[in-house]
Amino acid sequence: MGLANRAEIRLICLALSFICSLSLIGCTSSDRIAGYVHYRINYNPTTLDPAMIVDVTGGLIAAKLFNGLVRLDEKLEVTPDLAESWNISPDGTIYTFYLRRDARFSNGRLLSSSDVKYSFERVLDPGGKSPNTWILDKISGAKAFMEGERSEVSGIKLSGPYAIRIILEKPFSPFLNLLTMTAAYVVPKEEIRKWGEDFASHPVGSGPFRLTQWKHNNHLLLDRNENYFGGMAMIMGLRYRIIPEDLTALTEFELGNLDVISVPASEYRRIMEKNTGKNLVSSMEGINTYYLGFNCSRPPFDDIRARRAVSFALDRKRILETFYENRGRLAHGPIPDMLRSWDAPVLPDYDPAAARKMVDAAGLKGRKIQLYVTADPEVVDIAEILQDYLRTAGLSVVIKQLEWSSYKAAINNGEADMFWISWWADYPDPENFLFPLFHSSNHGPSGNRTRYTNRAVDALIEAGQKSSTRKERDHYYSLAERAIVDDMPWVFFWHKTDITVRQATLKNYRMYPIYSLDKGMEVSF
Amino acid sequence: MIPLLMGITFITFSLTKALPGDPVFSIVGERSNPEIIEKIRKEIGADKGSLRQYAGYVTLLLQGELGRSYYTNRKVVEDIGQKFPNTFLLACAAMTIATPIGVLLGFIAALNKGRAADKIITTLSVSGISMPVFWSGLLLMLFFSLRLKILPPSGTGGLQYLVMPAITLSLPALATLIRITRITVLDTMDMQYVRTARAKGMTETAINSIHIMKNALIPIITVIGLEFGSYLNGAVLTETIFGWDGIGRYAMEGIVKRDYPVIMGSLLIGTIAFVLMNLIVDIIYHYADPRVRVHGTDR
Repeated sequence: MGLANRAEIRLICLALSFICSLSLIGCTSSDRIAGYVHYRINYNPTTLDPAMIVDVTGGLIAAKLFNGLVRLDEKLEVTPDLAESWNISPDGTIYTFYLRRDARFSNGRLLSSSDVKYSFERVLDPGGKSPNTWILDKISGAKAFMEGERSEVSGIKLSGPYAIRIILEKPFSPFLNLLTMTAAYVVPKEEIRKWGEDFASHPVGSGPFRLTQWKHNNHLLLDRNENYFGGMAMIMGLRYRIIPEDLTALTEFELGNLDVISVPASEYRRIMEKNTGKNLVSSMEGINTYYLGFNCSRPPFDDIRARRAVSFALDRKRILETFYENRGRLAHGPIPDMLRSWDAPVLPDYDPAAARKMVDAAGLKGRKIQLYVTADPEVVDIAEILQDYLRTAGLSVVIKQLEWSSYKAAINNGEADMFWISWWADYPDPENFLFPLFHSSNHGPSGNRTRYTNRAVDALIEAGQKSSTRKERDHYYSLAERAIVDDMPWVFFWHKTDITVRQATLKNYRMYPIYSLDKGMEVSF
Repeated sequence: MIPLLMGITFITFSLTKALPGDPVFSIVGERSNPEIIEKIRKEIGADKGSLRQYAGYVTLLLQGELGRSYYTNRKVVEDIGQKFPNTFLLACAAMTIATPIGVLLGFIAALNKGRAADKIITTLSVSGISMPVFWSGLLLMLFFSLRLKILPPSGTGGLQYLVMPAITLSLPALATLIRITRITVLDTMDMQYVRTARAKGMTETAINSIHIMKNALIPIITVIGLEFGSYLNGAVLTETIFGWDGIGRYAMEGIVKRDYPVIMGSLLIGTIAFVLMNLIVDIIYHYADPRVRVHGTDR
């Protein structure tokens, strides 16, 4: 026997003994805690301090740990949470909330109206670092408090231990919606004092679950709160495993270590085929809009003909059906259909001939146009498709691919001619898709990254914000949306649909269009 | 060491500041206003000049602090204290696999130069260097987790979590060690002292172990030291695929979000680890090869 063969045999024996030794030391691919629902999150939540949360991951976990005065129900209507009831003054500026008397923090203390006042003032604290002050700065006296001129917010008044009055500077119709957001969750003062800045890793709230372990970049363990005022969850707890890589998460799911995962785009077709007829795949229309934004503040896209040319040149429907495999609904404007109670605007159809004429008319032929995109592979693919369509129309598009931080700085500072981005609802109101994105006071990081300016649209949005009835509000919003669609500061692409697949053992699983809706109370085994 | 570290802090600080992007935009999320941006810029000291920011950082370092992350508000020194042991463990495990196998296979290949064993080992070595870790990692996951069901695909913890990332990470080092050992041993085999030993009638085993292997050690130790030092700086891809909570993923997330205290802290710790590793390698040279001993100490 030659040396080569002997070496090969030794190697094979070594490999076999390695595998056997792994089996002998009792290794297993199973990684579960009985009675807990196992979810996957892509990243370690930045913080679990409600005043500081800006990411969806942090928000969806905080929703299990904390409560606000109000929350959203499945129909996206505002419904009681810590407040049993409330009333609004006829002029729309005074909100009086009556709190339930049985809500306790998970440390055992009863929650009262002074906790609400403390929590709101903490967000607005001039010495604090909260990036979410915009959620509560509509309250009367908030600005003076934030500038350190007053020691408390004059518009937050206690009316006994279980009633609180909030007075707004001026009427703001989506205010109740704002109160469903993470920054308006109620926190206990004594825990903040105890932990200081480290409250972010040791959150204590009144929600249906309490955080019992957070191994950063590994997992979070939430045990059910047996004293929760809304009853006890059907499961022992929740385990959020932090798995950045999609294919690793899929392997964990296939081994039964995860109960639910979002279907990765690359595996969409395979998973759909594999689960045909099993009723394990769920989908939910997300409240979001994906769009191609134009920089309306400088040539060439300050000219509506240039924006129209691009809009005519792109076959959105075909891209959605083929590349995107129908994982979304075609947009009819900036506002998702489920938030629109009026007739959707009609967008121009794909018309390459009209696009070419428009390119000539706007003098764009041969001009280099920069399209900014993130490094997300799916987005880069979309950019290449758009580049090809626009080349056919006579436009020369240069794709500039940047990682997220540089990309955000570039589009916030108005460096891009065109950019690809999406907007996800903070709260389910058309206003959230109009004011931040199209009002001229919000250019740049406030949301209006196209730097679109139309005073008539500004006035319509402001009128909608002040309206006290839904009918009146919708009237103004519908007019604003039509005006925006006519001006075309975006090419309105699609509203993405979220798709998940779950294990057959998981019962009563539901998807929610906004993270804050899921309190984890229904799901069971 | 201190001037070196000061130099490193200055260079890394300058480079991080030269990066495009603004941490404030990541902190405030998707919706903000100029007042909030200004407040946060002030809060993190981004409103001050670069030199004042650097002086502030050095003052912090002298107090044994690395600051707090802009996003998580957690102390960087505590985060690194949690993650570095994981990185160290993974690096040790990878080198424990790579070193004996790499050196042994390299030696076998050299002794069988031009024969089948050499060709097989050289092919394996080229494959190991060429195969990206995200590919080899996924293959291991497919085999050990999905097929054999004996190892968990991801997580940080005991031996069962360590095996696959350690094998994945060891592959490039293993391949490099095979190549360097083979070349060095072949060079040494041509030396006059080997021929002399053979002429003296020494057995092949004695020649291999005393004359060839011992003299081939220096380049091999150098490669082991360099590979180990680079692993101590984290292995972003391996850590990401296997969800291993190491310093590489931590630094990468810091870079993506422009979390300057995290970037600076990770780089500083990585540099210290690398410098210490080089020092250890120098000490090992001292014992492995009498020729590199400092004059005057061994007379």
